[in-house]
Amino acid sequence: MRDKLEKLREAALGELNGAASAEEVQAVRTRYLGRKGLLTEVLRNLKDVPLEERPLLGGVSNTIKEELSERIGSRLLDIEQSAREKALIGERVDVTLPGRGIPYGRLHPLTRTLDEICSIFLSLGFDIAEGPDVETDYYNFEALNMPKDHPARDMQDTFYINTEWLLRTHTTAIQTRMLEDYAGATPVKVICPGKVYRKDDDDATHSHQFTQMEGLVVGYNISMADLKGTLEGLAKAMFGESRVIRFRPSYFQFTEPSVEVDVSCHICNGKGCSTCKGTGWIEILGAGMVHPNVLTMAGFDAEKVSGFAFGLGVERVAMLKYGIDDIRHFYTNDLRFLSAFKRFE
Amino acid sequence: MNVSTKWLSTYVDLSGITPQHLADRLTLAGLEVEGIQPIAQGTNLVIGEVLTCEPMPHSDHLSVTTVDTGSQVLSIVCGAPNVAAGQRVIVAQNGSVLPQVTIKKTSIKGYESNGMICSLLELGVDPKSLSESQKEGIEVLGSDAPIGGDPLAYLGLDDAILDVKLTPNRSDCNALWSLALEVGALLNRPVHLPKAPVYTEKESTLVVGSATAKCPVFIGKSIGQLTVGPSPLWLKRALNAVGIKSINNVVDISNYVMIETGQPLHFYDASKLAKPEIIVKDQLTGIVKTLDESEIHLHHDDIVITCDGHSIGLAGIMGGDDSKIDESTTAIVIEAAQFSPAQIRHTSRRVNLMTEASLRFQKGLDPMAAAKAVERSTQLLVELANASELEKTVVYGQPDATPKTVSVTASHVQRLLGTPVSNDTILDIFTRLHFSPVVQGDTLVCRIPSYRLDISVAQDLIEEVGRFVGYGDLMGTLPVMPMTLGGYDARQTLRNRIRALAVGFGLHEVITYTLVHATKTTQGVNPIPHPDSLISPLSDERQYIRNSLLPSVLESVAYNQAHKQSDFQLFEISALTHTKTNEERLVLIQAGKQVLSRWQHETRDYDFYSLKGLVEVMMEELGFAPQRLSWIPVSDHPFFHPTQSVKVVLDRTELGILGKQHPLAAKALGMDPVLMAELNLEPLLKSKTAKIKYSAINKAPVVVRDLALLVERTVSAAQIEKTIAEAAKAVLLDVEIFDVYTGERIDASKQSVALTLRLQGEQTLTDAEIAQTMNAITEALERKLSATLRG
Repeated sequence: MRDKLEKLREAALGELNGAASAEEVQAVRTRYLGRKGLLTEVLRNLKDVPLEERPLLGGVSNTIKEELSERIGSRLLDIEQSAREKALIGERVDVTLPGRGIPYGRLHPLTRTLDEICSIFLSLGFDIAEGPDVETDYYNFEALNMPKDHPARDMQDTFYINTEWLLRTHTTAIQTRMLEDYAGATPVKVICPGKVYRKDDDDATHSHQFTQMEGLVVGYNISMADLKGTLEGLAKAMFGESRVIRFRPSYFQFTEPSVEVDVSCHICNGKGCSTCKGTGWIEILGAGMVHPNVLTMAGFDAEKVSGFAFGLGVERVAMLKYGIDDIRHFYTNDLRFLSAFKRFE
Repeated sequence: MNVSTKWLSTYVDLSGITPQHLADRLTLAGLEVEGIQPIAQGTNLVIGEVLTCEPMPHSDHLSVTTVDTGSQVLSIVCGAPNVAAGQRVIVAQNGSVLPQVTIKKTSIKGYESNGMICSLLELGVDPKSLSESQKEGIEVLGSDAPIGGDPLAYLGLDDAILDVKLTPNRSDCNALWSLALEVGALLNRPVHLPKAPVYTEKESTLVVGSATAKCPVFIGKSIGQLTVGPSPLWLKRALNAVGIKSINNVVDISNYVMIETGQPLHFYDASKLAKPEIIVKDQLTGIVKTLDESEIHLHHDDIVITCDGHSIGLAGIMGGDDSKIDESTTAIVIEAAQFSPAQIRHTSRRVNLMTEASLRFQKGLDPMAAAKAVERSTQLLVELANASELEKTVVYGQPDATPKTVSVTASHVQRLLGTPVSNDTILDIFTRLHFSPVVQGDTLVCRIPSYRLDISVAQDLIEEVGRFVGYGDLMGTLPVMPMTLGGYDARQTLRNRIRALAVGFGLHEVITYTLVHATKTTQGVNPIPHPDSLISPLSDERQYIRNSLLPSVLESVAYNQAHKQSDFQLFEISALTHTKTNEERLVLIQAGKQVLSRWQHETRDYDFYSLKGLVEVMMEELGFAPQRLSWIPVSDHPFFHPTQSVKVVLDRTELGILGKQHPLAAKALGMDPVLMAELNLEPLLKSKTAKIKYSAINKAPVVVRDLALLVERTVSAAQIEKTIAEAAKAVLLDVEIFDVYTGERIDASKQSVALTLRLQGEQTLTDAEIAQTMNAITEALERKLSATLRG
């Protein structure tokens, strides 16, 4: 009897191992543990066993029954798990295929550059002023200490609409309007970005239309040192923390003293390279202390207040910053150019 | 301006100063040196004498020479046709570096060659200053050339030319004498300018005068006797160095003195003047024949030189052909005058004649220069052209010789520069600049020399201090001022928000030119009437100020389509500025299709609805609710599709047009049709925007009901929605159209429209309330739109 039980156990375990699906496992369960199952039958037949053997055989058969139940349960779990794993493997995707496109656009590189500059000055409490592209001779020249026939006008070849109106040649025209608006009140802290126009044939480095940004500060005891400090901040923000700047005396009719401002070359760190033509310096700005005549014409007391102004070419800054070699790219709007500006540091 | 350092060094000692050093010093003082060009270049050059010269066997042009260089005798193979024994020549010895070549010991057909006998061309001398024979052969030096000496010094070619870019305020440095004073001040070295001796002179018979305010000063002088001939070598070299061709001693002197003093001079052949009289006039007509033999038609504003009632020259620009100096000239009249810079500029531009003289007059001259120039040219004519029978100088007008006085205080200097500069430093700088400073209490009073036209206010003096001290040590500070709130104004904020939205929706920003061709002004959307144009444009392409943004953006679209980019979205925001209007506009473009995933075949053509959807979302985000917008079909616009275009109206103001490009318009531009909109942004700035407001979440359940309607095809979605909204009153949450069907299963004149309605009350809606609302809706749809409910 005991042998029979042992054989039954081995046969059941063998079948269970051979069962490949949940159905086959269930079949094993029915065959051995079902109501008419083989093990059930053995237990039912215990009554035919001599009384003294019954407890032992009963214990053995119960142990076998429990073991079998447990093994069936774990076998079912195994089968379920391997089926799930198989299904998941079947759902594999090629992770190297491109993701679904979310449409994206890019701001024009000039807008990006200007935004960057504006954010620096906004953080210093500056306002942003704009003016009309079509300007009067007065705001563009006369109010800037450049009367008609002044030779300094030759520095900027001008598109005239008629004798009174022109396309502004510099954003300094906005400066004039701002000074007039402030009418002698200080502090004046304003930057003036805008499109400007000069009668230049378009080539890789010249454009009849370009973008300038003017900065203007007027108040008490404003000095060249303040101008230098402000522009140092700008240079560092735009071209890196290790940049230094240099003032070279120059001339603008509306500032006195006037300077050209060079920034140490961000490509070679001032050692000299093709970008800075071997000098280690790149000219990016014109600046100076607002001429007393300009302040007086706009209603300020030039004896009491002073101010500085600076102007930079936004294209030039963008070209230097991003290594763009041709100014015409900004206005051709080739998508391959526009979408090249994906990442800005 | 070209400055010869050799010439400059005749006035100020430049020993120990390299051209590079001088250039750097000038640049940092505001006189930017843009280039340094040596007149001749070569290291290890020596003067040698050709001892022997034999033709090389089996060669048709080479010679074998021996050359004595003083310290040794070199054998040199020479290819020049003109080499001969006995000549003194320039020898580039082994190791010599020339502009094109480095000389090495070499062997030619078995003959050793230790150096090269040079032409001036090989030393980099400007070919324009060389004769044909000088270009073809070696330079043969004079018999006085010292063997073993420096050939460049012997020839006067040991010179470097500085290209100085003068700012308009420092036109005084167009005079080499003024530049010498500047250099002397910068280097703190004395300056010695030539001083003419006093000559015995006769009373003059010359009469000079001016009948126009445009010539306030005219100085004339008669030289009764002189000899025209070639100039000495030093004079030729000096003029050549600064790019002026030597003509003869007399003409060369006028140019030489112009360089020195900055004052343009004119010499007349006295025998060709009808009488000894020169009167300057304007208000003349007729023709002047100038030196270059062109005929100038006079304008009444032009300043003209006349003699005996005849025009003999265009003042300040070019002399007349009739009275010019030539080889037979034996007596001259010198002219040195002041002419109105503005008038010279106008005339010079009108007749398109830019001469050295006209440029100098335009830039403004030292009022004392004319007198100095007459004295100096007299001296050189005596020394170099045997001038005699000198007459006294005659002067019309009075040069303004009152020295300007400008004052400044040290504290003002320190305050404006933002750096401490001592009184002594300031005083020293002003002294070196010949400002004769006088200390009066705190104030420094300066007497400004006549040539410094740029100094008139204290700030000008402060700049002098700044550029002399240099800004290198200036410590940057940030301005100390009251705090201010900076920020974007409403217009800038609107623009920034539109930009951010557009970029977020996948549009690339473009920036296009303001100036356009005339035809583009007729191809716009709501073009601004009578666009402004330029008086003298660079080209027809860029003549008009654009009156609509769309044509410019379409050019960019066409460019990209032509470069194989078919699927994209663009936008531009720009003001359209004219003398009478200034209006900011937005253009939106959708071209081709939106590509979500090409490999999954998920693309969608852009269509009317994609652009409309874009505008709807943007407007809502900007604070303009959809119900404030209306879309009015446009069927007759030449550039828009007649059945897929609308006027976009906000409240009652038209913003612009949106729709598909008319296929003919696209074809005319050589492009594929796109979806496009041009909208005026000004009304957005003037219209009230909705405030963002929180409302508590309505917890009453939402009732969803679908409706399927059969209506005429002419009935628009907007009409259906409006009818439902009016009938449902407050309980309608929203309506969404989820299907529009036209096709064979229904009547050809009809369309089937399926909608989902969501209803919500303040409290839970009862079945009766729902039924009542739905009845009201269907009744209204039937009554107003003849809609029938489908089963």
